[in-house]
Amino acid sequence: MKLVVEDICKSFGEKQVLKNIHYTFEQGKIYGLLGRNGAGKTTFFNCLNKDIPVEQGKFQIGEESLREVTIEDIGYVLSTPQVPEFLTGREFLKFFVDINKDKIKDLKSLDAYFDFMQIAPEDRDKLLKDYSHGMKNKMQMLINIIANPNILLLDEPLTSLDVVVAEEMKQMLRQIKKDHIIIFSTHIMDLALSLCDEIVVLSNGELQDVHKDSIDEKELKENIMTILKGEKDYAK
Amino acid sequence: MLNSFWVSFQLKNTYRVNSIIYALKQIPLIKKILPDDLYQNTGIKILGNIISGLIELYTIFIGKLLYVATMIFGMVYVYENQMDQANLFIHIFTFLTFAGALLNTYMFNPTNDKYYAMFIMRMDAKKYTLSNYMYALAKVVIGFMPWTILFGLLVHAPLYVCLLFPFFIASCKILMSSYYLLVYQKKKKIRDENHPVKAIWLVLFLFLLLAYALPYVQIAITPMIFLVLAIVTILLSLLGLRYIKNYNLYREIYKEILTETNMKVASYDNKDVVKESVLKQIDVDQSVTSNKEGYRYFNDLFMKRHNKILLKSSKKIAVFALFCILGVIAVSLVNEPMKVTINQAMLQILPIFVFGMYMINRGQTITQAMFMNCDHSMLTYAFYRSPKVIVLLFKERLKSIILINLLPASVIAVGLPLILYVTGGTSNTIEYAILFFSIIAMSIFFSVHYLVLYYLLQPYNEQSEMKSATYSIANVGTYMVCYYMLKLQLPTLTFGAVLVIFSILYCVISLFLAYRLAPKTFKIRS
Repeated sequence: MKLVVEDICKSFGEKQVLKNIHYTFEQGKIYGLLGRNGAGKTTFFNCLNKDIPVEQGKFQIGEESLREVTIEDIGYVLSTPQVPEFLTGREFLKFFVDINKDKIKDLKSLDAYFDFMQIAPEDRDKLLKDYSHGMKNKMQMLINIIANPNILLLDEPLTSLDVVVAEEMKQMLRQIKKDHIIIFSTHIMDLALSLCDEIVVLSNGELQDVHKDSIDEKELKENIMTILKGEKDYAK
Repeated sequence: MLNSFWVSFQLKNTYRVNSIIYALKQIPLIKKILPDDLYQNTGIKILGNIISGLIELYTIFIGKLLYVATMIFGMVYVYENQMDQANLFIHIFTFLTFAGALLNTYMFNPTNDKYYAMFIMRMDAKKYTLSNYMYALAKVVIGFMPWTILFGLLVHAPLYVCLLFPFFIASCKILMSSYYLLVYQKKKKIRDENHPVKAIWLVLFLFLLLAYALPYVQIAITPMIFLVLAIVTILLSLLGLRYIKNYNLYREIYKEILTETNMKVASYDNKDVVKESVLKQIDVDQSVTSNKEGYRYFNDLFMKRHNKILLKSSKKIAVFALFCILGVIAVSLVNEPMKVTINQAMLQILPIFVFGMYMINRGQTITQAMFMNCDHSMLTYAFYRSPKVIVLLFKERLKSIILINLLPASVIAVGLPLILYVTGGTSNTIEYAILFFSIIAMSIFFSVHYLVLYYLLQPYNEQSEMKSATYSIANVGTYMVCYYMLKLQLPTLTFGAVLVIFSILYCVISLFLAYRLAPKTFKIRS
């Protein structure tokens, strides 16, 4: 399965944020989407998630024959976790499982999901408004994974987590990557290098591939910096 | 010192001018003609400065005018002819000054400008406090002077009393401030002026009592007593001033007073406060459960967890309405003339109930809680935004809200015809039915109205700020129409019939619109 991005354009007023973006993302890989603050990473995700309309281009998905990406294809984890504060963790999960019963493959018990996400038994029946930032984040991630979407968009999800939770999340992402196309946006280079299989840099409204394998880390970082600073185009 | 004052004054002024410009930008039509680089625009800066100057003048003179005119001068006439007006004036003024000194010292008032100057801009706390304190005292003396003279002479108080009063007020404030400073130095205890403790309230009440009750028993302060009191206070306050001038713990004190929570409350931008208070509306009782499924489960838990603002409050209103109805019935049973009046009133009273039903409807509170505690986060999930789900949840919510509001409404709807019957009835039996149905119709109307407005105009943005002028206008419009009804006196029969028909039509049309349009309009504003 692959996600094909074709000729995507998006502007805000005069400013062109995404310029004719072409790219193909493949299943089984974690893509690190690097970019400076304000480069358009979130805009790219929002376009893909159909939160905002694009001016031109399309997003398609499929094995051989491609079809338009639908909302069901996408799980979108936001940088600030959003959960309904008046429910307990268990209630939110039950609600979500209820409404997605026929879509979820190999349905597990609620506690099995909590175990998978390493949410402690004593926290499962607390109101979400009393959850810490990290726990809300886990909850949001869990909801997005259960529905088993083809594409998983993660917008700076690890930036504000403590080291232990961040490490747990990384493990979990590696565990599930074979069934998904995972795109992970961040502006922290080391995080991208340690977790992701492919590095894609968004700079000046364009997506550029950076190959990881052939060169050593120092050179790789320099290449990425060059693109980020927008000094010159880095040829593949 | 002067320099320090000037810097802080400019800082405060800049902040105020920017707030004024920000406020201007919030007005629907005006914001369109204002340029984007507003904060650089000299013309608007000048306008802002003029408004800011007017506000400063207002704080110096107008507030004090209102205070002296209503709380003191006006009250003198309440005791008309009972005793000497001048003595009354002096008496009330003196005790209110004591109360005022207790309540408002300026020095211990947590305000933003202090926070910005001392902590963000790191100005010298002592210099800042002293120079601004002097300015505040000068404002007291200058601001009161015209009014003590004007109103004092009007009640024939001696001129020296009129001239002394502003200084007396300032002295009382100085003494109070130095006392609090001393307490802090000795015991490290501080008072928060905006949250007085019970003891302070008690003393305050005592002063008010002395101010307004003593004249009833023919006791009041004479000019001579005041003269002695004022001279002693003013002399003592000179000592106080010296103490304040040599005091060194200002920074420490303000660290305690200008806490984050205080600053939030004082902030012009109170969205965090609103957010927090709405979050508090969630009942922490986790024993609440629901045996429904899916979206019904979701909605059921929302309603139950918001019991405090929903069912519980609507029960309270129902009980209150019940007592009122029983009270009216009781009165009409024992008092024959009242009985006739009430009976006639029942056939004219319906327009007033439009306002009444408006007041007791929980619609606006509920939709606010819906957004802040639920939709704000849920709308970020794609499944929640699908048209089918939006309409499904809309229906569920509508059912719940109508039911919750119907509880007090049905008490009133039964109560009104009952009162009509008990007080002598009416020849036209259809009027009983009209009373009943129009109350029920109004209750359903308001429930539908608020929810449809919320779904069609969804006024909040990602930061939970209300961003829709249309929504505000619709709300104000609703209020004005209902308020206008208070002044109407129309026969129950025709008015009620029109009301029922209107409500039904409105519900049908707005529900049709909501089902059609809500999938498009119900989203977080960008």
